[in-house]
Amino acid sequence: MKAFAYLSPTTPEDAVKALAAPGTVEALSGGTDLIGRMKDYVASPERVVYLKDVKALAGIVEKDGATAIGAGTRLVDLVSSATIRDRLPALWQATTEVGTPQIRNMATVGGNLLQRPRCWYYRNGFGLLAMKDGKSLVRAGDNRYHAIFMTDGDALFVNPSSLAVPLIALGATATILGPGGERTVPVEQLYRVPKADADREQTLAPGELLAAVTVPAGVGKNASYEVRQKQAHDWPLVMTSVHLKMDGDSVREARVVLYGVAPIPWRSEAAEKAVVGGLVTRERAEAVAKAAAEGAKPLSNNGYKVALVRTTVKRALLSAVGDRYWQEG
Amino acid sequence: MASWPESTRLIGKSIPRLDGLAKASGRAKYPSDIRPEGMLFGVLLTSPHANAKVKALDLEPARAMPGVKGVIALATAGETNVIYQGQEIAAVAAETEEKARDAARAIKVEYEVLPHVVTERQSTAEGAPKAFAAGNSRPGRAQTAGKPDEAMKGADATIEATYELPVITHVCLEPHGLTAEWKGPDSITVYASTQSVMGVANDMVETFGVDASKVKVLTEVMGGGFGSKFNADVWGIAAAKLAKEAGRPVRMFLDRAQEHLIGGNRPSAKATIQLGATKDGKLVAMTAETSGTGGRGGSNFPLPYVYHVPDRTRSHTEVFVNCGGSRAMRAPGHPQGCAVMEAAMDDLAHKLGINPLEFRLKNLAETDMVAGGINRTEIYHEQVRRGAELIGWGRWKPRGQGGDGPVKRGLGMALHQWGGGGAQDKQVACIVNPDGSVELRSATQDIGTGARTILAIIAAEVFGLEVGRIRSNIGDSTFPPGQSSGGSTTSPSMAPPCFDAAVKARDELFRRIAPGLEAAVEDLALKDGQVLVKGEARLTWEQACRKLGMMPINVVGVFAQGLSSTGVGGCQFAEVTVDVETGVVRLKKIVAVQDTGLILDMLTWRSQVYGGVIGGLNYGLFEERIMDEPTGVMLNPDMEMYKLAGATDIPEIVVEAHDTPEMRARGVIGVGEPPTISTAAAIGNAVANAIGVRVPKWPMSPMNVLDALAAAEGKA
Repeated sequence: MKAFAYLSPTTPEDAVKALAAPGTVEALSGGTDLIGRMKDYVASPERVVYLKDVKALAGIVEKDGATAIGAGTRLVDLVSSATIRDRLPALWQATTEVGTPQIRNMATVGGNLLQRPRCWYYRNGFGLLAMKDGKSLVRAGDNRYHAIFMTDGDALFVNPSSLAVPLIALGATATILGPGGERTVPVEQLYRVPKADADREQTLAPGELLAAVTVPAGVGKNASYEVRQKQAHDWPLVMTSVHLKMDGDSVREARVVLYGVAPIPWRSEAAEKAVVGGLVTRERAEAVAKAAAEGAKPLSNNGYKVALVRTTVKRALLSAVGDRYWQEG
Repeated sequence: MASWPESTRLIGKSIPRLDGLAKASGRAKYPSDIRPEGMLFGVLLTSPHANAKVKALDLEPARAMPGVKGVIALATAGETNVIYQGQEIAAVAAETEEKARDAARAIKVEYEVLPHVVTERQSTAEGAPKAFAAGNSRPGRAQTAGKPDEAMKGADATIEATYELPVITHVCLEPHGLTAEWKGPDSITVYASTQSVMGVANDMVETFGVDASKVKVLTEVMGGGFGSKFNADVWGIAAAKLAKEAGRPVRMFLDRAQEHLIGGNRPSAKATIQLGATKDGKLVAMTAETSGTGGRGGSNFPLPYVYHVPDRTRSHTEVFVNCGGSRAMRAPGHPQGCAVMEAAMDDLAHKLGINPLEFRLKNLAETDMVAGGINRTEIYHEQVRRGAELIGWGRWKPRGQGGDGPVKRGLGMALHQWGGGGAQDKQVACIVNPDGSVELRSATQDIGTGARTILAIIAAEVFGLEVGRIRSNIGDSTFPPGQSSGGSTTSPSMAPPCFDAAVKARDELFRRIAPGLEAAVEDLALKDGQVLVKGEARLTWEQACRKLGMMPINVVGVFAQGLSSTGVGGCQFAEVTVDVETGVVRLKKIVAVQDTGLILDMLTWRSQVYGGVIGGLNYGLFEERIMDEPTGVMLNPDMEMYKLAGATDIPEIVVEAHDTPEMRARGVIGVGEPPTISTAAAIGNAVANAIGVRVPKWPMSPMNVLDALAAAEGKA
């Protein structure tokens, strides 16, 4: 690990100042991602700004039906919150499955949202896009955990945040503090598809700090379904979060967002369109799942993820309306 | 012929290991925890390339770094050919680990990178670069018995299939390494995480030319070896060299990535098997073309395995790749042979429409004699019957009847065998002091198997003392020669000399105290901490020992015939669920039935079987070394993407000892290896039973399961 300057501000204003300093700066919170990257020399920042002493960034606040979650809130605090569990099961479920108890005790909401991709080419030091001599190492190599959508482009990693997916489904916004003041954007706008190795896959400008995410009032039925190889400590292979606003038993408005299939959290507009305007029956869920998988262009090793898209979309939808058919018998 | 006592107070009972509390509470100091005064941290610089020539090597930038106390080259510019990622280039010792790492990175190495082959596919592809002077692969001669082609024509049913198992790495919890401390110019003490204190001591003697009498290797406890830790290795020797250069102790342990790259692995296996049987379920012939890679080393495995195939031919091709080499791993070769044989057996039973349990029993050799006049076939019959009861084999249904919902249930089984005999040349010293304390000494070591505890149990049994009264002093190379811990040989090698030593010490005690008691030696006995004369308690153990005056008893025990044996069998059953919409396999239950002669400590014996099963289920479900063909690097050299079971992935494991008077009469046989052999095979068969489709590639990951289902659908 390269030696670095270390700052531990206690107010959001000082944190912004510390982050806005020249040179390479990384924000440190739970440390479950950054420290590993630094030890492996994937990241070698000149300055590390520790955010956990900024107490104003942590906590869950209910106001006018909206739920504001500070970026410094630990995952274990989300999991133990009755509000999150009862009102936002899509988020609660996704959070309970992150890492291990030890990781959830350290990791924060902001850190989960802004962690860097787990792509093994990136983590092995081949760069974010893993291009060599103009060719993609991911395409030529082992891409079992990589994207199946947007694969015409060069960014083939998958967005690693389990929390982004339910938050986007729930229509959450992100509050960002920066040298120029505060701005609010939908959570999905925290991410972009990088075009070059030097680009970040995240949209925060230098000096900007993610302060909170807010799930607005009027939440409908919501659920997440995750497929992972192991039950203990593992990453999702594919996960889907759904959010359904209902007119009686009929879906009026829907969001269907997927993890593990694209370099950004993947909103399946095809699935959203297919689910609106009817009941969520097993038959319709099957049809919506099929729509969600359309347009997937798997790489050489990850065709199996198409089946996982269908299954997770179907099960997240049915789970939202209380049908867990796979647990029967 | 010596024999174990007919009735025992301690032997065979469940006795907690002596160092269990220290280990569980974190108080035990492992070799990697040892920090001698003034110790420096060593770090190894290894090659990032899979195939390259070292053109230039400049250590000076590292020497100039702050806190650096020693730098040595482990490669030679212009001479060294790197043939795998992770090959040792240089080593650094510095005041802190961080400084040593930074210094290692500062070393300038110029490579001429050459084309590599890192997977079996890449190595054997048409037009593959010639990465090895003698060729990328070496076909073996066919080994043939009878006339398999002719016999196959007589089969009523045949299957032909290809099964594959990946390379898996050792992943010992404690990494490989040691801390070397010179005590003057010609005397060295080494704290090593090793399976062989004598092996490491010998490496130091040979490398440094110091007297064997001035080399001491200590392994009080250690965190797993599984066959990969018999020697000092390049990095251990580097630590001792750096320690000499710096005049300070040097600690050198591999990091986790290096563990995966150079700490050893189990070779891969691929087998294309044709197997035929008559309609009443008798095997007639097998033809098998197999291959595998152990890096540059061998990958052979036993086949056919367990079952009797009258006419057969098999040829094995060694495939070489630019990857770290294999090392012995818990039952080398057997899990591979077991998995491919048992998969073929299951597939053929399915084709014949015969219950696979019956099919297996029908195809055991009529007689399969192992040491002590035991017909293992009879043992297998009893074990399979017991295992079937414990898993509930009565619920078994033919393939594809795993349930109506997406989550299918399945049962599978497999048989295995192993040797497990010991060496006959090892020694144990037994010291009985006038204060009543008892010490055992031998240059063997406890690699987590309970060796320390079983030696104490044997002595305590003989002396009529509690186990905790015996100091079982092992893990010191200067003690009487002890067994290296490999091949399940530690217990059968060490228990006989331990028993002999304790009996000799007891007899000497009797000789020395009998006159004072005005009793005949043959009237004396030891029980519950008392010396009995003709059955009556006369002295406490302490009182008796006090009569030794200033002269302790110090005797050396040696091997005696009749106390140990070899040749075991076992079977395992797995119950799984497989979600056909996700490909996720969950283990519900595993039953492991095992015989290993006389069991010394039922608790550590069971623990060994649990450990073997857990290792085997990792092989079955999770582990895989993933090499990248374009770059030649390992993509998952960590414990995150290299998957291993966590606590919640471990199912109910039922351990059943095949522990009968007939087995106990055989004496001690090692149990380390056999229970890891058939777990992955049984899991593979349970998955096939659940989903009605053979998943031909291990591990049983969602990818491999879904790919197999998709392939079957495509064919249908």
